Amino acid sequence: METVIEVKDLVKEYIIVKKESGLRGSIKSLLFPKKTKFNGVNGISFSIAPGEIVGYIGPNGAGKSTTIKMLTGILHPTSGSIKVCGISPQADRKAVVRKLGVVFGQRTQLYWDLRLGESFELLCRIYQIDQQAYDDNLAILTDVLKLQEFINTPVRQLSLGQRMRGDIAAAMLHSPSVLFLDEPTIGLDADAKHAIRNFIKEINRTRGVTVILTTHDLDDVEQLCSRIIVVNNGKLVEDGPIGSIIHKLTPHRLLVVELHEPADDLTTPHATVIKQEGLKIWYQFEKESISASELIAALSQKLPIQDISVKEPNVEDAIREVYKTTATR
Amino acid sequence: MLQAYWYITKMKLLVNLTYRFEVFTSVATNLILMLASVFLWQTAYKGGSGSVESLSLQDITTYTILSIIISTIFVCDVQNTIYYKIREGQIVTDFYRPIPLFACYLAEDIGEMLSSLLNRALPLVVFASIFFGIPWPASFGSFLLFLPSCLLSYAILWLLSALIGLIAFWVMELGNMGNVKDAIVRVLSGSIVPLWFFPESVQTVSKFLPFQYTYQTPLGIYIGNTSMSEALTSMAVQAVWIAVLYLILAAGWARTKKKTLIQGG
Amino acid sequence: MVSTIKHYVSVASCWARLAVQRQLEYPLFLFSWLLMIPIQYFSGIWMLKIIVDRFQALNGWDFPQLTFLYGLGLISHGIFVVFFINTWSIDHMVINGGFDRLLLRPMNVFFQLVASYVNFIGLIDCIPGVIIFLYGADIAGFDWTLANIGKLILVLIGGILIRAALFTSLGTIAFWTKRNGSMVGFALTMLERATMYPLSMYPYFLQALFTFIIPIGFISFYPAAEFLNADSGGLDLPLSFALWTPLVGVICFLIAGGIFKFGMRNYESAGS
Repeated sequence: METVIEVKDLVKEYIIVKKESGLRGSIKSLLFPKKTKFNGVNGISFSIAPGEIVGYIGPNGAGKSTTIKMLTGILHPTSGSIKVCGISPQADRKAVVRKLGVVFGQRTQLYWDLRLGESFELLCRIYQIDQQAYDDNLAILTDVLKLQEFINTPVRQLSLGQRMRGDIAAAMLHSPSVLFLDEPTIGLDADAKHAIRNFIKEINRTRGVTVILTTHDLDDVEQLCSRIIVVNNGKLVEDGPIGSIIHKLTPHRLLVVELHEPADDLTTPHATVIKQEGLKIWYQFEKESISASELIAALSQKLPIQDISVKEPNVEDAIREVYKTTATR
Repeated sequence: MLQAYWYITKMKLLVNLTYRFEVFTSVATNLILMLASVFLWQTAYKGGSGSVESLSLQDITTYTILSIIISTIFVCDVQNTIYYKIREGQIVTDFYRPIPLFACYLAEDIGEMLSSLLNRALPLVVFASIFFGIPWPASFGSFLLFLPSCLLSYAILWLLSALIGLIAFWVMELGNMGNVKDAIVRVLSGSIVPLWFFPESVQTVSKFLPFQYTYQTPLGIYIGNTSMSEALTSMAVQAVWIAVLYLILAAGWARTKKKTLIQGG
Repeated sequence: MVSTIKHYVSVASCWARLAVQRQLEYPLFLFSWLLMIPIQYFSGIWMLKIIVDRFQALNGWDFPQLTFLYGLGLISHGIFVVFFINTWSIDHMVINGGFDRLLLRPMNVFFQLVASYVNFIGLIDCIPGVIIFLYGADIAGFDWTLANIGKLILVLIGGILIRAALFTSLGTIAFWTKRNGSMVGFALTMLERATMYPLSMYPYFLQALFTFIIPIGFISFYPAAEFLNADSGGLDLPLSFALWTPLVGVICFLIAGGIFKFGMRNYESAGS
């Protein structure tokens, strides 16, 4: 299979200095700092095919940013191998970064006091973009990201959403084949989020750009990603299409039944009652053992049903489940 | 109320003790400055008559060492604190604290002063003693007068710094005027070269400025270049300057506060 | 090769233009510097005058020679500050992620670090520098021959490279400690005392240190001694030092480049 990114047994070790509290502790760590080692990333392997949009998710401190930094050549792994477009970023950083676009949602690469367009001109020179290609590319980016209204405004006067659009355009100017987005929608309003998600879909569809996205916003994941990789405590805990991960982690579904009059016997062999509120009853059932329609049919035989609805587990439940079960080291 | 100030002081002290790296480099910087200055004086005195303006090489060495040591203790960050807080727009939150703004900053500076005494001044005293012998005061009496005079000096320096901080409320765009003031103080306080060596005319003018009462006065007392009665007179002048500067600060602060609260920082 | 140089020159000139624009956004901010820098340096030379007047020439260096030396040291400091000021803020860039951004671009990292900010404000340091130097050259009887001017330019370039090497090496520490801002103050103090005052005032040990280990004596002291025929201290060294400075500068700069690369490798392996 063709891959853009190939990661094998990636390990990143950190050394941390422990600080003690109080005056005595300050003096003590001043003289004898205590150092301990731990693995921020602990044996991660995966590969990504061209044109995928992958959500790389995990709780804070799970090792997401560290992995991204290793993939982009900023950090070198303690052990393990990385190939981006067939090249190791550690062996030939300059060749790899030409093919990458990187956006850190919390840090801008734009110059605060300059107009947005001026930062772009600098990037044009840094990446040696051919003038014609630059003009065409900028025209497309301006159109899709709607930059025209603020391309001549100093960056410090931009709203967060405008700045983020500017940052994404800056990362896409040199037409990278892989785009890394670290928290691209953090702190944005619904409109700006929508614009950015549309843009990601668009470039993925029209240019086949591979996108790796880290985020805490699971709506991003649900709307964009065909596949998610979940890490926790430096380890890869799930990797696959969203649907199957949800299915695997939360095999239960809920059937909410509302009766029009009280009934004596609520039990059924196919599902368990997990909650009851007046005439409203929540049934939990296994997707594998019975389908919703069969269960409804069985229940309607014995109960005076007024209203009925099926609740699918969502990404958020699934992810919370993953974090919970893999929280301990 | 005093407890609140002590808490601020203590927190600043604790925070400062954790900056290991900064402490090492600060001691090293001041050590270089001290060595270079003493060598300069040694070269100036070399082969000469022994004492100039009734100051021997030993006197001027002690003067220089002490000057650098007390400069590490006299922490007047208030001008920078105010400047940066105004620039970052954080000053408003300090307005809403239940305790007066300047008292708060003074408490912080005192906390830093205490930590500097431990981790900056003390190592310098040790190094100075190793390189040039212990810089003893001229007499026990002069040491006893030196301490209160130092406190008065600090009060003058801190008030000057606070006044510069006030300027920032009015003309923030001009940059940190504290740097300008520091450059002037360094020369006219006699912290590098005692004013006794300056031309007569400069000395006369300087008598009517607050600067020489910040470094030269306590240091002159310490090395015994100032007689007992002169010392007491100088300290009285120090006290007068404190009163004058305090009044200016209080008046200026009242106006600044009104302006800031109206314009919303 | 030619195209690489063209690429780097085009990026550097773009950065320089953007730096001017950024600095002109806050023109009044310069005001405090415009006051402070001249006060600081004119009073520094005034202190020397007071000492020499009251006492004697400093190890044979009379006031005109001291002025020449002071001015030469200050000019090279001023030009250094214009071109290499970013070597002072490696620690900031490591903490706020600016350094990561340099690693994400397909260009030499050290080049990006230095070229990304041309600090035109540093020219303010050159104002008192040039005034003091010209005055010193005049009263010390400096010969403005073509050969001397050529030597002077070489000395300035060499001196700036030595300074850049020193600050780059110190900045590299930030790759381990994440904090080294206070090292800048330390180095500046050391440089001021070793390049604007005669090195021969200090004990042999320090003279040797500043000649062979941290060769900042070559920035201005040895060249000034050579130009003015003044006493160069206890270490009698052969050849014209005016020609040594550029050589020392280039060697130091190359060594510093190696140190920087080593530090970067540590940064990459340690992370932040």
